[in-house]
Amino acid sequence: MMIKWIGAILIVAGCGGFGLMIASAHRKETVMLKKLIAALDYMECELQFRMSALPDLCRQTASECDGALRQVFALLSQELEDQISPDVKRCMGSVLAKSKDLPLQTYQMLELLGSNLGRFDLNGQLRGLESVRQECRLRLNKLMNNADVRLRSYQTLGLCAGAALVILLM
Amino acid sequence: MRCQWQEFINLLPGWMRQPVDEHGAQQLQELHLRMDEPPQLILKNQSIWLNKPVRGEDLRFCINAATKYSPWTAGSIQHGYITAPGGHRIGLCGECSFDGQTLKNIAPVTSLCMRVARDFYGISADTWKEQGSVLIIGPPGSGKTTFLRDLIRQISNHGKGAVTVLDERRELFPCSAGKFFFERGKQTDVLSGGRKQTMICCALQTMSPSVIALDEITAAEDCAALLEAAWCGVQLIATAHAGSKEELYARKTYEPLVSQGIFDTLITMRTDKTWQKEGFCL
Repeated sequence: MMIKWIGAILIVAGCGGFGLMIASAHRKETVMLKKLIAALDYMECELQFRMSALPDLCRQTASECDGALRQVFALLSQELEDQISPDVKRCMGSVLAKSKDLPLQTYQMLELLGSNLGRFDLNGQLRGLESVRQECRLRLNKLMNNADVRLRSYQTLGLCAGAALVILLM
Repeated sequence: MRCQWQEFINLLPGWMRQPVDEHGAQQLQELHLRMDEPPQLILKNQSIWLNKPVRGEDLRFCINAATKYSPWTAGSIQHGYITAPGGHRIGLCGECSFDGQTLKNIAPVTSLCMRVARDFYGISADTWKEQGSVLIIGPPGSGKTTFLRDLIRQISNHGKGAVTVLDERRELFPCSAGKFFFERGKQTDVLSGGRKQTMICCALQTMSPSVIALDEITAAEDCAALLEAAWCGVQLIATAHAGSKEELYARKTYEPLVSQGIFDTLITMRTDKTWQKEGFCL
């Protein structure tokens, strides 16, 4: 009997934990997208007023960010300095391949950023940044839409699914 | 002879570096890259072609290597060229898009003409002794810029006074992080990257030059800038595109300069890199 109860508690805790994990990933995605938008704001500002070259711009942006984004921009700056790939898109591709713990949407936005960097004229480059930022905002709005209710639902659903499983098994 | 050869090699995609280095380290003048065609190396007396055709990504690599993946930082791209580290010039061809009069983009780029910048000491011989203004003419690739660079250095080192160089294309004395790739002389100040007309005013007002040197008078506004600087007690040295004296006189753009007699000495460069000096008379 004791083993049954321990098993039941573990199932409920496991399913509840899964729900919490989804909710936490959701929160992490939101935070990362907000940070990426802030980084894009910074890049736009630097480009407009200092016309920095991309390796310098990425290095400066890295120093303004923290966590995974700092690592991405620092690696990108290094990749650009090394001049191995023919364009920025491929440089970003090889950087993203090394950055494993990025949330999916942030990963996709960084991919988009890679294909938007390296435009010919400054205005074109600024417009490229703006389009990435716009896409980030859209995705962030989707994530934030009823976020509290949804996050609570994930957690509750996890616990409920665990409880249901226990009842079925017992 | 001095050349930032390694800087040039660094501009090329990996597969092209070794053959170009092998054939061209001493005498490459221009490297032509045309989409889907093999690279053409123009050496001193001959042309050779490599085996493999050039792809779009090779062209993109060269442009990105020259601009650190930031073409917008090269203001000259609006004029269809980039000056790469080491002073090497890359001319671009492809489908252009314009915003009014301004070139906004060249995409796709289909051809590149990469000209190697080389510096020869003493080729201007005793031209530095000339008292009046000097105009250097010659067809493309005849060595006008190289001659001008040496002349500037000679004038500067022989104590004829301060020389202010207006280096719009950053080709005469390319510089990176404050370090010049070519020796410029003891009394040479270099103002680079701006429009000639603006820079001439700055130079006259602020640098107290005895000599003003500028490369490639190509447009009417360049002539206007020179006319502004003439008769200010400053010796002028400039280069212009014309195959001969007759061609110079025939070109409408240069008419104001010719008719007003700004220059005293004319140096004519030839494609075989020889040159001749003569008085400039109307």
